[in-house]
Amino acid sequence: MMDRLSIVQKTVMSIFLAGMALVVVIPLLFFGTVAFSNAAEMSEFPKSLFPSSTVTVRVEPTESGSYEVFYDSGEGYESIITTKDAEKLEKHFRRQYSVTLSGEEILADFSQTLENGPMEFTYKKDMFYNFKQFFSIVPNAAEALKNSIVVSLLTILISLGIGSLAGYAMARFQFAGKEQFNVAMLIVRMFPVVGISIPMAVLLIQMGLYDTLLGLALLYSVPNIALTAWITNSIFIGINKELEEASMVFGANSFQTFMRITLPLAFPALAASSMYSFLTAWNDTISALILSNENQTLALVVYKAIGTTSSGIQYAAAGSIVLILPALVFTFIIRRYIGQMWGGVEL
Amino acid sequence: MSYLEIRNLQKKYTKNGPMIVNNMNLSIEKGEFIVFLGPSGCGKTTTIRMISGLEEVTGGDICIEGESILAKKPKERGVSMIFQSYAIWPHMTVFDNIAYPLKLQNVPREEIRRRVETAAAATDIQGLLKRYPAQMSGGQRQRVAVSRAIVVEPKLFLMDEPLSNLDAKLRVSMRTELKNIHNKLGATSIFVTHDQAEAMSLADRIVVMYKGNIEQIGTPMEVYQDSATRFVAEFIGTPPTNFFMTSIERTEEGVQAVGDGFCYQVPVGLTDTLLPYAGRKIEMGVRPEYIEISPGLDRTEGYLTDVDIRFVEPQGSHSILIAKVGATEIKIHTTKYMDIAAGSRVSLNVKEGRVMFFDCDTGKRVK
Repeated sequence: MMDRLSIVQKTVMSIFLAGMALVVVIPLLFFGTVAFSNAAEMSEFPKSLFPSSTVTVRVEPTESGSYEVFYDSGEGYESIITTKDAEKLEKHFRRQYSVTLSGEEILADFSQTLENGPMEFTYKKDMFYNFKQFFSIVPNAAEALKNSIVVSLLTILISLGIGSLAGYAMARFQFAGKEQFNVAMLIVRMFPVVGISIPMAVLLIQMGLYDTLLGLALLYSVPNIALTAWITNSIFIGINKELEEASMVFGANSFQTFMRITLPLAFPALAASSMYSFLTAWNDTISALILSNENQTLALVVYKAIGTTSSGIQYAAAGSIVLILPALVFTFIIRRYIGQMWGGVEL
Repeated sequence: MSYLEIRNLQKKYTKNGPMIVNNMNLSIEKGEFIVFLGPSGCGKTTTIRMISGLEEVTGGDICIEGESILAKKPKERGVSMIFQSYAIWPHMTVFDNIAYPLKLQNVPREEIRRRVETAAAATDIQGLLKRYPAQMSGGQRQRVAVSRAIVVEPKLFLMDEPLSNLDAKLRVSMRTELKNIHNKLGATSIFVTHDQAEAMSLADRIVVMYKGNIEQIGTPMEVYQDSATRFVAEFIGTPPTNFFMTSIERTEEGVQAVGDGFCYQVPVGLTDTLLPYAGRKIEMGVRPEYIEISPGLDRTEGYLTDVDIRFVEPQGSHSILIAKVGATEIKIHTTKYMDIAAGSRVSLNVKEGRVMFFDCDTGKRVK
């Protein structure tokens, strides 16, 4: 295939792909860096590409018995704070440098300058300080993470449960209106969520499911049931009927055949479908914004955190990483099976 | 009572649809190798699927050892099947594929291992037990399917065109092997195919089927030499039987079959049976090897006519000559005049008595 592409096509393709990669990678890289930066690093310009794991300060003893702390934010050491108050130091180091040491420990270190004159001290940063901060200062962040997981799992369960059965029925049985049904399922996916959000909200209120996790999961499942049905349908069609028949002849009943033959063979399709379902539920903010109030999902919480903070953007970035990681991990695990679906194993 | 008894078996897919299998009756003895032969759509596969329980039966009965199996589930029937697509499970190793039926029967592990190894040895795939189907060739997959079929020690082997996905050379060697395995196990087998060469070489008896009906049941020699219907005469044999439309006429010399461009003296043994057809049309069939040619234009009792050879197709061991009798193109199988030149004028003589007559309306043999 590649041989037939001319050098021009290859070049254009490479540039295009590189561009795509940049669009995806640069924001990720930026947020990754920000998420691991402390407050002092945030105000540095130019910002370093990778966050450092340590903080270095210069300390000079003053005549009044206090310590003057200098910090180099790119343009040489500047005096930042002059104090001998342990509590003040502890707070400053924690907030500005993400260094979590007690004031007494810091003072003990600084006292060396009384004999040796001005000294530089290097402290280890608490790399996960922003993450801890995110969960402690953003209201309900931990709760939201739990909600997100529950909603995603519910969405996968509902979509797979209903969608795969529909897919199996369409692949194996003939019934009136099959074609129409097939198309009708696609139509469900055509509507933007915002467009139908008001009636959806009314509907959920009437069902008593407004602001519940199940309500959200149901909403996310609707388009995904259709998608799951389509994906599994094509896989079930691809599974030779003789494979199931052989199982029946060689001693299995229908249930055993389904569990031991059909299901394992359809697993790549189920994995792919569950990935789509998971991503829909996990990444959505707009539906959650409209349809939830107390029971917020993580995506919504992060969205709000980014949208409303001007200072402490690093905490929101940490939240974003928390949001991105599970999706990435899940996708990479599932990817193996999807690869199988498109040409690994002959069915 | 025969080992397998099929009585008035019927199959329709829809209530008012055509009969796919029409009142089939068949008895099979233990140890026989039966081949269902027919063109696609003749109902042969449907029949073995009904025997295996994969297909509902519309009417009639199927008994194994005198016991009706219609009410039984596929797994209770004691049959095993080799499918056209092999139907070996791609997500299992060869060992697991063969062991699957035994595991479902809760056979002890040690015994499973022993039986799987024996079955694998029977088809020479002991070395492949840890492989997955995707890592094997078509022939090897076929062997796995055979091993799986024999590991359950069934009462009946059903084979649904098992060789049709193999290349020509492998097909021939595999069919010898299948027959060998059948003989070794003393198994009873039904083999479905549309390939007459396969049928002829494997079968103890061939069941020739056409449009849901059994045309003829007989040994390979019987169906070839003594075809019961026009369909059998045409379907079996390459090239197929030559057919001539004739009318039976009574003359001074005896009974003659008069066709387009020839006049054939009906052998004495057939005159009585053909007399009722006097003045009517009847179809005459002669197999290509029973038309003898005479470059010296000699005529025997079976003289047909003189023709020019149009084409010669050398086959090495024999040649196929193509000529025209009237408007009918005929093929002649010869081992004697393999080097005859196209355009030669020859006499055609039907070998003594080697002629078949078929009723035009029913297609049945008149004899």
